[in-house]
Amino acid sequence: MSGHGFLLVNYVPGTSLVHRAPLWLKFLLVVGCGMASFLVVDWVVAAGALALMCLAFLASGAGPARLFRAVRPIVPVLAAIGLFQWWQLGGPVAARIVLNVLVCVVAASILTATTPMQRLLDGVVSLAVPFRRFGADPERFALTIAIMLRSIPFIAGAYSDVRDSARARGLERNPRALVLPVFITTVAYARQTGDALAARGLGEPGPEDDNEEDEGTQDNGTPGDAGRR
Amino acid sequence: MGSILLDGVDVRVAVDGHPEPKTLLDGISLNLTEQRIGVIGANGSGKSTLLRLLNGLVAPSHGTVTVDGDDTVRSVRAVRRKVGFVFTDPLSQLVMPTGREDVELSLRRSVRNPKERRDAATAILNRFGLLALADQSIYELSGGERQLMALAAVLAVEPSVLVLDEPSTLLDLRNRELLRRTIAGLSQQIVMSTHDLELARDMDRVLVVESGQVVFDGGADAAVEHYRALSAAGLPPVGAAPWPHTTESA
Repeated sequence: MSGHGFLLVNYVPGTSLVHRAPLWLKFLLVVGCGMASFLVVDWVVAAGALALMCLAFLASGAGPARLFRAVRPIVPVLAAIGLFQWWQLGGPVAARIVLNVLVCVVAASILTATTPMQRLLDGVVSLAVPFRRFGADPERFALTIAIMLRSIPFIAGAYSDVRDSARARGLERNPRALVLPVFITTVAYARQTGDALAARGLGEPGPEDDNEEDEGTQDNGTPGDAGRR
Repeated sequence: MGSILLDGVDVRVAVDGHPEPKTLLDGISLNLTEQRIGVIGANGSGKSTLLRLLNGLVAPSHGTVTVDGDDTVRSVRAVRRKVGFVFTDPLSQLVMPTGREDVELSLRRSVRNPKERRDAATAILNRFGLLALADQSIYELSGGERQLMALAAVLAVEPSVLVLDEPSTLLDLRNRELLRRTIAGLSQQIVMSTHDLELARDMDRVLVVESGQVVFDGGADAAVEHYRALSAAGLPPVGAAPWPHTTESA
């Protein structure tokens, strides 16, 4: 299985101002860009925001190549959306929608490119701590986010591999030959990841819960059958 | 050295369309006390299921499995802290984008301070000669480097037993040798399934699994010879079609 750097940039070590910016500010930037995409109605403002985000990304020292690699995978999708919106609603609306999506992607890439994953997880844990009173486990919450980020390139890689296989068999125009294997591969990957997490004891309650009886926390499957955990 | 005890273990799974459950392991009783234990056998013979029992990934349908006295069903958390598990495909095991982050993930529970956690991860990666690769995307690593990275992430929490499920299957000769040397230098009790008979010969004790049963249990050389004989039995003569029905239809 080949993996792909897809949408979000991996952490690039550095000491730039963007790297040193507090995590809450970067979180706020991403959330703000997401919210602004619903509010901004002028494509010129969206273009300005995108320029600012690109400048911030480049100021981190991650480089234009990484910025291009982060944006490249969604260019075909954005081109299709842009053309459709242009046809339906005109050029300015199409430009605004496309630019707003790009702003969000670049803002998220700034966060992931300038923040080590562990720092990001610590931040997510801090954010999730208030939900502990409702039964949420902040560590598990952070792990879920990490797995989500990790799974995007894997699924993109699965799609690329399946597309190549379909091409080799002359089935590139058959959507079933593309969608079904990606779906099956993704489900298998999810199960393998679940097994790997369980085997490493990740996502389980902390040592403070060790006195609890383990029995009853697992699925023992059909009576008389082997239960997968 | 710890003790892994399997007492009258059966493993059965329900199969769609079949009224009777399929038997994956049948009546396994073992006391594993040696430092290095190999498990060999054909594809689908039950090797992986046997290994998964040891970490509690699979529960026995009948019988019990204990690791140093801890039952793998009733005390699964304690068992998983003792038993590290390395999968065949490291890509499904490495959860984080880089090796360093994955090792740090392993340490999150035991080392709360981020700085200390990072230092501990650096020390572990350095021990395995992986420091130069620590911050590379796991997709940019070779198969052998990924497998060693997965091994480092599992060993970060210092388990007393290491279970490896065909760890060399996806590796080329050089990486296989690298993995072999790394495993040879570990102090943990090792239980490893493999199709690599050279690797199996490094073990103190080797189990041959066939159709869900341990059909041979003894020294490495004798076990490998037994497995060779077992595999050769029933093979078609050289040059004969392995699947006669396909040649007929052609």
